[in-house]
Order: sequence, then C-alpha cells, then structure tokens
Amino acid sequence: MSMKRIGLLAAIGAILCTAGPAGAQRQASWPWQQDPFPSRYHAPPADDMLLRGATILDGAGGRIDGGDILLRGGKIVAMGKNLANPGVREVDARGRWITPGVIDVHTHNGTFVLPLTAIDREASDVSEVSTPNAADTWIETAVNAQDMAFDRALANGVTTTQILPGSTPIFAGRSVVVKPVRGATVWDMKVTGGVQGFKMACGENPKSWGADDDNEGPTSRQGVISYMRQEFLDAQRYKRAVEQARAGAGTMPPRDLKLEAVAGILAGDVRVNLHCYRAGDIAAVLAVAKEFGFRIGAIHHATEAYKIPGLLREAGTCAAVWADWWGFKVEAQDAIRAEAPLLERAGVCVMMHSDSANDGQRLNIAAAKAAAAGRRIGIDTPAETMIKWTTSNPAKLLGLEKRIGTLAPGFEADIVLWSGDPFSIYSRADLVLIGGAIAWDRSKPRAEPISDFELGRGGIGQ
Amino acid sequence: MRILVSLLALALAAPAAAQTIAVIHADAWTMDADTPVRDATIVIENGRITSVAAGGGVPNGATVIDARGKPVTPGLVNGATQIGLVEIAGSPDTSDTGSADERNPGNDVSRALNGNSTLVGLARADGITRALIFPSPSRQAPFSGEPALARLRDGVDILDKPNVGVYAVIGGGAWDRLGSRGVQWAALRKALDEGKRGLAPPLPADKKKDRKGGAPAGGPPGGRPGEELIRGVLQGHVPLAIQTNRESDIRQAAALASDFGIRVIVVGGAEAWRAADVLAATKIDVILDPVANLPFSFDQLGARQDNAAILTKAGVRVAVGQAGGAIHATYNAGMGLREGAGLAVANGLPYIDALRAVTVNPLAIWGRGGGTLAPGADADLVVWDGDPLEPSTIALHVIVEGREAESRSRQDRLAERYRDAR
Repeated sequence: MSMKRIGLLAAIGAILCTAGPAGAQRQASWPWQQDPFPSRYHAPPADDMLLRGATILDGAGGRIDGGDILLRGGKIVAMGKNLANPGVREVDARGRWITPGVIDVHTHNGTFVLPLTAIDREASDVSEVSTPNAADTWIETAVNAQDMAFDRALANGVTTTQILPGSTPIFAGRSVVVKPVRGATVWDMKVTGGVQGFKMACGENPKSWGADDDNEGPTSRQGVISYMRQEFLDAQRYKRAVEQARAGAGTMPPRDLKLEAVAGILAGDVRVNLHCYRAGDIAAVLAVAKEFGFRIGAIHHATEAYKIPGLLREAGTCAAVWADWWGFKVEAQDAIRAEAPLLERAGVCVMMHSDSANDGQRLNIAAAKAAAAGRRIGIDTPAETMIKWTTSNPAKLLGLEKRIGTLAPGFEADIVLWSGDPFSIYSRADLVLIGGAIAWDRSKPRAEPISDFELGRGGIGQ
Repeated sequence: MRILVSLLALALAAPAAAQTIAVIHADAWTMDADTPVRDATIVIENGRITSVAAGGGVPNGATVIDARGKPVTPGLVNGATQIGLVEIAGSPDTSDTGSADERNPGNDVSRALNGNSTLVGLARADGITRALIFPSPSRQAPFSGEPALARLRDGVDILDKPNVGVYAVIGGGAWDRLGSRGVQWAALRKALDEGKRGLAPPLPADKKKDRKGGAPAGGPPGGRPGEELIRGVLQGHVPLAIQTNRESDIRQAAALASDFGIRVIVVGGAEAWRAADVLAATKIDVILDPVANLPFSFDQLGARQDNAAILTKAGVRVAVGQAGGAIHATYNAGMGLREGAGLAVANGLPYIDALRAVTVNPLAIWGRGGGTLAPGADADLVVWDGDPLEPSTIALHVIVEGREAESRSRQDRLAERYRDAR
C-alpha cells in the first residue's frame, strides 16, 4: 500500500474517532453503549411490488397457501389472499414460496476469507489471540468487505448475518451485524438498532490455546470458568465506579476498553453469544450468568443442549445449533442432527447457525436435515415451525425481532421468493429483497453482484 | 414395523443361511434405465438380486418389505471419503489417515479400516453402502498411498476391495519438501518412469482379483519410493488418482495420462469444468464435490456448483466424493453425498446422471463395477421414504449383501434417550 493511501485511511479514521464519541455524548449514554464505528448503510430505493399466489411462511409460525404480499416503501404493507393492487409491479408467485430473509447469527465472513493464504495461518483476523481477554476488540475493524462469502450468502437468501470473533479467547470481543450487500467497507453494510452482540467461549478451544507453552490463559475447563467470574467481578466494580461517578459520588475511573465492554454485558446493553458444547459447560456458564445477573443471548453450537433443555428455557437463553457438525473433536462427540426439533419440542428458542461460508448458504437445508432426524424418532416438525429456526428466532437474538425475521405489516421487507419449497435441495432463491429493494434477481445473472476479489479472475461471478 | 422387520432380518441371518427378501411396491431406480420401474417387486436371494419386475410375485418364505410406492435405489456410493479411518479428527491417536513413514512408500488403508466407527454407522443410516476410502498425504511426495473400497456391512470388517488405485496429491503448497508444482509433476513422472524400467512381466489378470487379506496387489513393501505402488498403474490394473484442482494441473494430469498410457482419475477437480474437452478426450474421470463454490485455496478460484453438469454434458464420467472439503465432510459421508448430488441437480445436472454419480459411476471409476438393481447384481439397496437426493428424506431400510443392515446410528440412540428431556 502506498504512503498516500495510508495517509488517506488515517484521515478517515480520525474523522470517525472524533465524530463517534461526540455524537454519543449528546445522548449521555454509558461508555459501553457508545459505538465508535458508525454505520454508513443506506437502504437503496425500494422496489414496490405485489407478489401473488405464493405459499407464504411468515417466519413466526404462520402459513398462507396461495397468499399475496404487498411491499411499499421498503415495508410490508399487507399480507393475505386476493389483495387489491394499488398500482405497483405485480409478480406471479404461484407455485413458489415466500419466507423472511434468512438470518445467520454465526459467521466469520470477512475475517475467515477464502481463499486462505499464508497470512491467515500466521496472523488470522478471526480472533485476537494475544490474550484470553480480547473484550476490547470490535470484529468490524477486521472485516474485509470484498469477501465473496457475502455474495454467495445473498444469492442463497441470506439477508442479515452476524459476524462474530472466533472462540480462542474467553472474552473474544464485540460482533457486528451486516447486510450481505456490496460496499467498499463493512460500515456500508452495518445494521444498527439491534442489541450489540459479544462473543465468549468455553471448553476445548480456549483451554487448548492456553495450554500451549507460548500462550497466556487457563489450561482447563475450571480455569476458564474461574477466569470468567474474576473478569465479571472486576467489571462489576468498574461499572459501579462509573455509575457512582455519574451520580456525583467519587471520581470517574480511567477508561478501560476491556472492562467497559464487560460492564456492558452486566448492564444488559451488550448481549453474549457463548460458544459452548458440553451440557456441563453450558450449565456452568448459565450459572455464572445467574450469579452476575445477566442473560446470555444464545449458547452457540450447544451440541449437548438437548440433554438440558430446561436450563436454557428457564434462563431465557436461546441455542444456535448445527445439523451436521459433530464428532470432529472430543466435546462434539454427542452432537446429534435432531437437536433443533428436540429443543423446539422442549420449548427452547432454537435457531440454525453456520459458522461457515459454505453451510451459511443452506441454513434451511440444515433445518430440513434436523427435522428429518427428528422424524426418525417420531417428532414431526411442520415447515411453518422450521422456518422460525432461520428467521424470527435469530432476529430475537440480534434484538431485531420487531423489524425483521417475520412477515407482517410494518416489518422491513427483507424477503425471499424461492423457486419452490425452501427446505428442498432443488429450490433456488429467485428474488431476494432487502428493505424492499431487490438485492438479488436470479433471472438477471449479469447483475450478479461480485466482489472486487473475484472480478477478472474468471470464476463463478464472471 | 421397521423394528419388526429388523428383528426378522436378524433372526433369519443365521450363519451361511440363505435369506430371501422381497421388496414390494417399489419405485425401483435400476440404473439400467433412465426411469424407475413402477410398482416393482425386487427379489433378493443369497445376497444377490434375482428379479426386478413390475408387480412381480413374492417367493414363499420371503421377508417382505413394503416400499409403499417410495423410491428404492442401489446402495449409494461415496467416491472419496475417509470414514473408517477417522474417529475424532482433532485427536491423532483416533485417526489413521496418513503415513509418517520416511523410508517406505505407501499407505494401505485397507489394514486400518474400522467398521465399528460411529462415522460408518451414520453413513450407513444415511443410505451409503459402499465408499472409496483414500489416504492422506504421506512422506513420499507426491503420493498418499493406496485407497480401498469399503462395504458398509454390519460389524468391524467393512473391506470390499483393497488397493483399488494409487493416490497422489498435486497443488499449490501441497508438498513443502518439493515446492513448486512443476517439481511435483516431475516427481510423479519420475516415479512412473522408474516403475516402467523395473517393470516385471505383467501378472495374469485372475491373480490380481479380489485379494482379501492377502498381499497388496502392488507387491511387498520396500524398494524405491513409488516403484511397487506404480506397477499396477502401469500394467493397467488400477488407476492413478490425482487429487488436484487448478485448471493447469488438470491439463497436466491429462497430458500425463496420454504420455504414459495410463488411466487417471481427477479427485477434487474444482476447475475441471474449464478442461472438460480435454478430460472427455482423454477419458479421465472426475470425482468432485458439487457443494464447492468457494475456494479454500487459490487452486480452486474457479469452483462452481455446475461443475458436474458441465462435465457430464461434455461426456466426462463424474462421481460425487468429498476429498479436501470442510472439517465435517468425513462426518457426513452419507448426507453430504446426497446433498451434493441434489445440489448438482439444482445446478443443471439431469437427475438420472446425479443418481449415477452416486451409484454406478464411482464403482466403475474405481474398477469395481456394479451398483445396479438388476438380476445377478449384488443386493446392496436402500428403501427411502422420499427422494434420496433430498436431505429431508430418510433411509428406511438399508440392505447390504442381501441382508438388512443396522440403520439406527449412535445419533439416533442419543436422540431417543433424550427425546423427552425437559
């Protein structure tokens, strides 16, 4: 990179740094509520339309056969049968299916960027691993917007994804939620208005990293849990000091970016996504959350959550699960494909997640596999329930459940028109709308969005 | 019903006892025709299919399986996987994929196969009855060793046929000790040249067939690297499988096949579609994963999901396999195979060609043949509750060598145990 460009970037950085805190201070927000990296995402002009005659799964458990849906000004205006057309473009959707856009709450898009090269092996951006406590990091500052994974996701009906840092640190840092649209930077894709996400990890990943001679950190499960409690204790003290200083009692402690983020968790302003596999690990972190008075948003992977559904249900904690990642490490030995239907049946908020740019293209197929595994043991899950696992339940985790993930009047028009049953391997996303604007149209392959990386390399996007 | 039939099958499976099974009301995809035989009765006796006929009769005393009009296919075959060699990928002491032997070439995976593995049980429950098991790269660049065909019958012994080829890997960064892929190709050619010079008169073909537990077809271990591995390839008994992805390497593979007059299989083949013409002309088969549309390395920049459709249209024989894929690929050798084949159809591969890519094609490519529902064929078949290429479909009955095999996986048992957990 030339010196000139470095200078330019530094200048942009300086503008952001001054604009962020100033804006935040006007709202008198707590330090952990501030966002130093504001979004520049603007929804494109809406393509108003009336889609007619589709099988509609509304994402919240409802189904309309032969249903119409009217989209205007980026919002869903009406849904039902035989809607009157107020004079907008009409799309014949007979024989096709409509669902909310797919929401993937666990990706490493933009940081685990394919193709991998030597630099990824030497110094990966998936997580900051110099310390088990990387609570001060914001994964968005690493995201490469030119990752073609965003294009693949969009073309397969994904309209929102949460990018999480990896699971090596115990406190891994803040997440970012993005729309998989083309932009020069992640901030052209960043979704605001939800609850700020945060990643934590327990079990084999952090302890095996700590056990390496060159690294800092606990080397056992008990060490990992105790590390968490100590950090929450420190953050509790820090948060109290900040609150007292605001109330005029005592001096404001110096800013500490790590403690600030963890204090945000305790305040309920920052929502934890906790990577955990075994039932005992899940029970332990739920106990820690109870001890410190916060709610964990979701246990991710949660491969043994099906053994202890009551603990998650009572804690109001969701489970973000796979269908077919199992066995590849010791703590994943008891993972089962039927986990989602078992958790659904037990009343736990459950969702499919990918952790992979490959699998993130087929979260509905993951749901189909999970439901089939349920059928093998006599549990039937209807399509209108399965779709919750990829739409409204993940929206809840992101704190966006009043805006996306459900098809109802007033919701943002993030919708997918599928060529057929969204749980069939043969179905394709014919039309993907984000905020009521067409973001992907399969009938116009020339308009296929491709990343700068792919341009001119002769691959799929040409 | 399913449990009852399973119990019956067990009861009848006395040692050496002949078992007769009749699958009735089947939508039978025979693979001999492009469309299924409707309402077929499939009769199985002594491990073989004896008849497939629309509305055919049921022999006296046969165990009857009513397919209720649902599809019945030959047992599916994974063209490249490592089930039977791996239990926990993250724990080397449970993984037998690669050789670390500096002095001796080869890695005969048939001696490491473990039919009791949970990965094998799940693949069978998902409708896989055979699979090509490939070794990981060895210390004898560019060779990995000798792959074997596995047959997923019940029990520990899942060997179908050992030494069905020689497996090599070529690509960017594939071999630290060799460096450039130019050197990798040179090493492969040198091994072929040396093998050619030291070649003994060819063995009679009948002595090469169906070794089970005997000496490797390639000869005893020892000698110069590559020499004995390569002999079978030069003699035309087995193919040389080259796991490679970049267009330039695929064209090199074709040139190598022509120069030495040997049969080559390309495994992986992310950019094979770009060389479809030359692959068709040199009769090189391709074993690919249709799921791939993101490049793990620069070798795979052209990865696209219509790879299988383009190659098949050009006349290249294609099978589905899962070499060099994601962490969990080996763990889903059954479901992943079906998902891949289904995705190939979604991307333009005719349905019957997708079925062939997971039945007859992999068996033909690895020199075994079969994989049909035809009188005289081995009775490996699956009764499905829907379209086998849909991940939402369940394999209701898995019959291997004429016997109903265990189709409940460890996952099913765990799910049943915690079914009512609240």
